[in-house]
Amino acid sequence: MDRLLGFLARRAVLSILLVLFAVFTVLQRSIFLSEQNVANVARQVSFNGIIALGETVVLISGGIDISVGAVLSMAAALTMKLQPFGVGVAVGAALLFGLAVGVINGLLVTKIGIPPFVATLGSMTVVQGLMLTYTQQQPIPGHVEWFTVFGAGSLGPVPMPTLILAAVAVFCYWWLNQTRSGRNIYAVGGNPEAARLAGIDLDLYWFLPYVFSGVCAALSGVLLASLLNTSTIHIGLDTPLAVLAASIMGGASLLGGRGSVGGTLLGVLALGMLSNGMDLLGVFTYYQIAIRAVILVAVVVIDSFYTNRIQTRARRQAHAA
Amino acid sequence: MKAIRRERGQEARPWLKEGSWGWLRGVARAARGNIAFILLITIGLLASLLSDVFLTPQNLVNILSAIAVIGIISLGQTMLIIAGNFDMSVASVLGFAGIVAVATQRFGLLPCILLALLAGVIVGAVNGLIVTRAKANPFLVTLGTQSFVYAIALMATQSKTLYSEIPAFNILGQGRIGRIPVAVILFLVLALMLQIVLRNTVYGRYLYAIGQNKEAARLAGIPVDRVLVSTFILCSVLAALGGIVMTSRLNSTVANAGFGFDFESIIAVVLGGTSLFGGSGSALLTVAGVLVLGVLNNTTILLGVPYEGQFVVKGAVFLAVVGLDSLVKRR
Repeated sequence: MDRLLGFLARRAVLSILLVLFAVFTVLQRSIFLSEQNVANVARQVSFNGIIALGETVVLISGGIDISVGAVLSMAAALTMKLQPFGVGVAVGAALLFGLAVGVINGLLVTKIGIPPFVATLGSMTVVQGLMLTYTQQQPIPGHVEWFTVFGAGSLGPVPMPTLILAAVAVFCYWWLNQTRSGRNIYAVGGNPEAARLAGIDLDLYWFLPYVFSGVCAALSGVLLASLLNTSTIHIGLDTPLAVLAASIMGGASLLGGRGSVGGTLLGVLALGMLSNGMDLLGVFTYYQIAIRAVILVAVVVIDSFYTNRIQTRARRQAHAA
Repeated sequence: MKAIRRERGQEARPWLKEGSWGWLRGVARAARGNIAFILLITIGLLASLLSDVFLTPQNLVNILSAIAVIGIISLGQTMLIIAGNFDMSVASVLGFAGIVAVATQRFGLLPCILLALLAGVIVGAVNGLIVTRAKANPFLVTLGTQSFVYAIALMATQSKTLYSEIPAFNILGQGRIGRIPVAVILFLVLALMLQIVLRNTVYGRYLYAIGQNKEAARLAGIPVDRVLVSTFILCSVLAALGGIVMTSRLNSTVANAGFGFDFESIIAVVLGGTSLFGGSGSALLTVAGVLVLGVLNNTTILLGVPYEGQFVVKGAVFLAVVGLDSLVKRR
């Protein structure tokens, strides 16, 4: 009973949002469930979805990555600006950039010992500066027409970015649940002391999630650039907030050791449908910003109530033993 | 978890072990303790070698007047960081307070300033209550309130620029006593006051105690939650004051006037030598840190580094200082 309540309480925001949409869609079937709108939502959530999966892995390992938004915008800029050298080169450079930032984040956290928040805050600033310098604050238009197929195209009824999100999700699920290294990531996040005594290389499994998260953010940047066929300096500004809210809403915790692919996808979907619903109902941008802020704070507060309970219980047990 | 990170750290980072590498740690520790002065002298020397404008009195006054606003905000941030917390919402409190001050000017000079400060009190109280009651992550909570306050500022202004209409309002930001801007004097007086509060009052000692070990502070009978809430309020009020000064200097304000000041104020505190791990630091160190930031900004401009490149320089310096801090502390 306690576990069930905890489960629901931790996903209260998610549950409320999903119920709200169920009611909404029944009332306004013609708009929300139109084939075009469904495809639209599926496409819109894919970009943050890919990043949120990377963020979830980082959260599971007990870290946090707030440099993802900056990486996304730099990857988009690289994708557009390097197109004259060939699309392969451009995309490769963007993904390599994400990988490099991930490696640096991981090293800062494990080898230097900077707290994850602070380390990724610093790398976020550096990457933002690089992006602003590289683009000279100008939008960069694309030159290769067929490249837009990755972001704007569809395979049958399914948008391309959604297919790529699905592929990343399947990989993530396999990694986290079916492989030893995936289980080790849960272990180092949930209880590092126990993980170390079990002979797990803590630094390695604190390090790998940052690399994955960096690559995911860059991949999302490539796709977003492909959709817009341009890159602007404004993309990615609210990405860290959105993906953290989605991951935590879906069951990941700042405490580490918790989180799942399915939960995060639901969280991303809930936030995406919220944006879509507010757009369709004509809610003004300012109010949308305010509503998203309230949701973020609510999600963080509920998560911390839950994790406090776990910590108190653990302390009591340690005291008894 | 902290203990284990420390223990693992020993194995993974041989340069931290005592023994043959011990001297390196000693150097790191010495550098950490005086980071602001090392940076100030290094950057100052570089700047005066590379540019003949740097050491002119006019340029030095320019540096001073540029740091007043960020300095006032950093003082509030210093208190919170000493107590082991952050406030990211300062960025939008700055813009919001400026808007309140301009929008309520028809009630008179004093009421409009008081109302703007009151806006800071409210945001700070909300931040503090959420962080202490829910024991929630201060970073994410204040990031949330930052975006909420920004939304309100946007609604209030409809993204337009508001102009100040009372001439007396501008003394705070534009006035000078001799060559020194009033705002700089305000900043230095506040810094001195904060230094006295931190060193010589019970409240100040509470902040250090909470930052070093919250649980121990609680067991020692310190009203931890009440102290933290009041610190969040003070930090927001100082951010609001920063917003008033900035509005007064520019004679106008917009909703995103404080863009970037959240991170900037944290950088200033860290550059001064206050540890992000909490429990140490002082107002005077932050004054030094703010000076470093001002000189750094000024130098990059004098050397013709494009505006965008400043982010890279600042971020890299920040990471270097925090990295040094982490290596020395290993917490």
